[in-house]
Amino acid sequence: MKELTFQQVQLDNGLTVIGELNENAKSFAAGYFVNTGARDESAAIAGVSHFLEHMMFKGTERRTAEDINREFDEMGARNNAYTSSEHTVYFGAVLPEQQPRILDLLSDMMRPTLRQDDFDIEKQVILEEIAMYEDRPSMRVFDTGNERYFNGHPMGNSVLGTPATITPLQREQMLDYFRARYAPNNLVVALSGNYDWDAAVRQLEELTAGWEPQETGRDHPPATPKTGFDVIEDGKLKRVHMGLWAPGLSAQDDRRYAAALLANVLGDSSGSRLYWELVDRGLADMAELWHDPADGIGMFNGYLSAAPERAQEVLEIARGVLRDAKSNPPSEEEWERAQKKLATGVTLQSETPFSRLMSLGTAFLYNRAYQSAGDVLAKVLGARREDAIELLAQGVLDELYVLQLGPAAVPAGNGAASQVGTGAG
Amino acid sequence: MSSTVTENIRLHKLANGLTLVYEPMPWLRSLSMSVLLPVGSINDPVGEEGSANVLSEWLGRGAGELGSREFNDRLEGLGVRRGGGAGREAMSVSASMLAQELPNAFPLLADMLRRPQLSDDQFASSRELAIQELASLDDSPGQKLGEALNARFFSSAHGRSPYGTMEGLAGLTPDSVRADFERRFTPQGTIVAAAGGDEWERLVELTEAHFGDWQGEPAASEPARAGEPGRFHVEEDTSQVQIGIAFPSLEPTHPDWYKHSLALGVLSSGMGSRLFSEVREKRGLVYMVFAAARAVRGFGYVIGRAGTTPEKATETIDVMLAEFNRLREGVSEAELERSKTGSLSQLVMQGESSGARASALTTDMLLRGAPRSLDEAREQVARLTLGDVNGYLGSLPAPQPLIVTLGKGEGFQ
Repeated sequence: MKELTFQQVQLDNGLTVIGELNENAKSFAAGYFVNTGARDESAAIAGVSHFLEHMMFKGTERRTAEDINREFDEMGARNNAYTSSEHTVYFGAVLPEQQPRILDLLSDMMRPTLRQDDFDIEKQVILEEIAMYEDRPSMRVFDTGNERYFNGHPMGNSVLGTPATITPLQREQMLDYFRARYAPNNLVVALSGNYDWDAAVRQLEELTAGWEPQETGRDHPPATPKTGFDVIEDGKLKRVHMGLWAPGLSAQDDRRYAAALLANVLGDSSGSRLYWELVDRGLADMAELWHDPADGIGMFNGYLSAAPERAQEVLEIARGVLRDAKSNPPSEEEWERAQKKLATGVTLQSETPFSRLMSLGTAFLYNRAYQSAGDVLAKVLGARREDAIELLAQGVLDELYVLQLGPAAVPAGNGAASQVGTGAG
Repeated sequence: MSSTVTENIRLHKLANGLTLVYEPMPWLRSLSMSVLLPVGSINDPVGEEGSANVLSEWLGRGAGELGSREFNDRLEGLGVRRGGGAGREAMSVSASMLAQELPNAFPLLADMLRRPQLSDDQFASSRELAIQELASLDDSPGQKLGEALNARFFSSAHGRSPYGTMEGLAGLTPDSVRADFERRFTPQGTIVAAAGGDEWERLVELTEAHFGDWQGEPAASEPARAGEPGRFHVEEDTSQVQIGIAFPSLEPTHPDWYKHSLALGVLSSGMGSRLFSEVREKRGLVYMVFAAARAVRGFGYVIGRAGTTPEKATETIDVMLAEFNRLREGVSEAELERSKTGSLSQLVMQGESSGARASALTTDMLLRGAPRSLDEAREQVARLTLGDVNGYLGSLPAPQPLIVTLGKGEGFQ
């Protein structure tokens, strides 16, 4: 069996192309990874990155929206796009013989016409998407909580925006944002699976020949994350949904693997300390903690779901578990179990070109360097428990920010809550 | 006991009725298992609705000599990722691992199914968790609509929710659920599926060793039947109205199944499909809309789903129904080609993932009674012509749909 090969080139216009060739794969996945997202928006255009992601499917000089959708289907592509706080990604997996066609389509889409009538219709779709998430309290608590926790830092920007920012948004504002953020030097094309590298590079050079590089950057203001406890009451809800935040490590920090393992020991969906204290005992139906490394900043994030009458007890127990970790850090046994769990996950994820593409592309955006699944495995299996112990000793989990979204007045957790707020419902 | 090989798929039937089905994928390091037991909400004892659901949680809390925590730690120490749960017709226990861990993980998983501790002290929290999951549906309108649609659609026990009912869950006792375990857990109808690695001989050996002496008759379950079509509304204070449409259709063993499946692909498989294009792209009515073929054993149906704000709900339903009806007029050559290409391409991609293959093997065994190789599925799709598909569509009666909505009724009813 042939080993994987990594390939990389930067075109004259600044566009970087990377590939992880697996000649044993039966399919091939390609994506444009754009280093832009909600954190790169000003308040006046909140939600524009995500709205623009939708508009990129709406037509180019060479194609109508119908053409784009039809062509993906004609290739039998498994395709989609997503927008996060810091990335916007357009991707598809196809059989290898469709390589030229999908590269042509994805590249053409990167230069959209953003027609006014399409803009108006798509605005309705965006508003429906926002309404859909309004009905999902487990999502809402994070959207609102992120904004409060980040306390003015752009990582708190909402990806979807709100009806108040989307409704007045003008096509020209989107066009300005597009011109500023979709320069070739701010894009990475990633390929994974079974493809022809030379042909891909030649074709991408032709397709992107007229694209002009320009200054693109990203603000990294200092963060002053919020701590404490806020409550939002919503009489429509039947359950209490709590989001937890604490400062973590960035995607450039090598100790992020130790942070991920620490979060796994404390808050994996099964077999973690939170699981045994809350879910196993039937006190909460979900109690999780994970580590989310981002560009230059990071956080620990948690989620608790409980019946209203138990919410206070559940939060106190969760706080106790996290506080206790400082004096009772992960044991060697817990650490190894977490390493095994994460390692199985990395292995499974690396087995198809489609799922592999995501980690290949995002890892490159963060560090401008190739990271094979084998590299990630080695990092996970080599992560030092001492790094986690040191993080705990520094007090990373001592002070949380907690946002509680639930039906009626549920009293705040005792003692540990440093401030009691009443949110706007 | 008999072993057969269909192309790449190996099948081994134990004397007691349990079936082992396996697809080697020697280029992968992973191996995924999926065990399906014929225990679901359709055969929960009357008055004990939710028993299978509680059992599915309780099973994992200690087995053989190992208590709850030791058992879980042992599996996780092998890097096994466990999943599953109770459904309508069957309970599933799934596990993904590195193939090399199979000999260590298999006996633990077998213990869980054959020798769970089902201890009194783990019962209350298992049931409590089931109660909380049921309560959580209230904050998840999409899922709640799904349950409401099923409850209305089936007149048979298939309409019962896998979550159970508050009354049923409240009435369960450790003894009642243990008795239920003794009665319903049997090798007859149990399917052990695996995909990934190259472990056939070892799997046969392990399955014989750990399940060979299992005995028992399966619980009876009634055949699926659809209820009456009609229109129903569930009032909820939500931002969007959730829309569910369902009508009876073909089951997967029907000779016309692949024609049906390709036609539904034209309706709703990609971004260029009719529903996406008409409801979302041209009219901006929704973010989410789709239709899909669904099946339980011996019975197939079609569902349509969408979510939209109340003032757009009527138009959304109208456009969806118009598209379901228009399908009977046939599809174009180009539409059929796209649907075929999509279907063939998905089959190739399914063949790259051990988890996807293990899950497809159990579904095929449950719904078709036999495994289906990717090559067989590809041939069936590839040979169909426009005449075949349109001939089938032209013979269809107009669908008589059940329509269930959930949300704020004012403004669209």
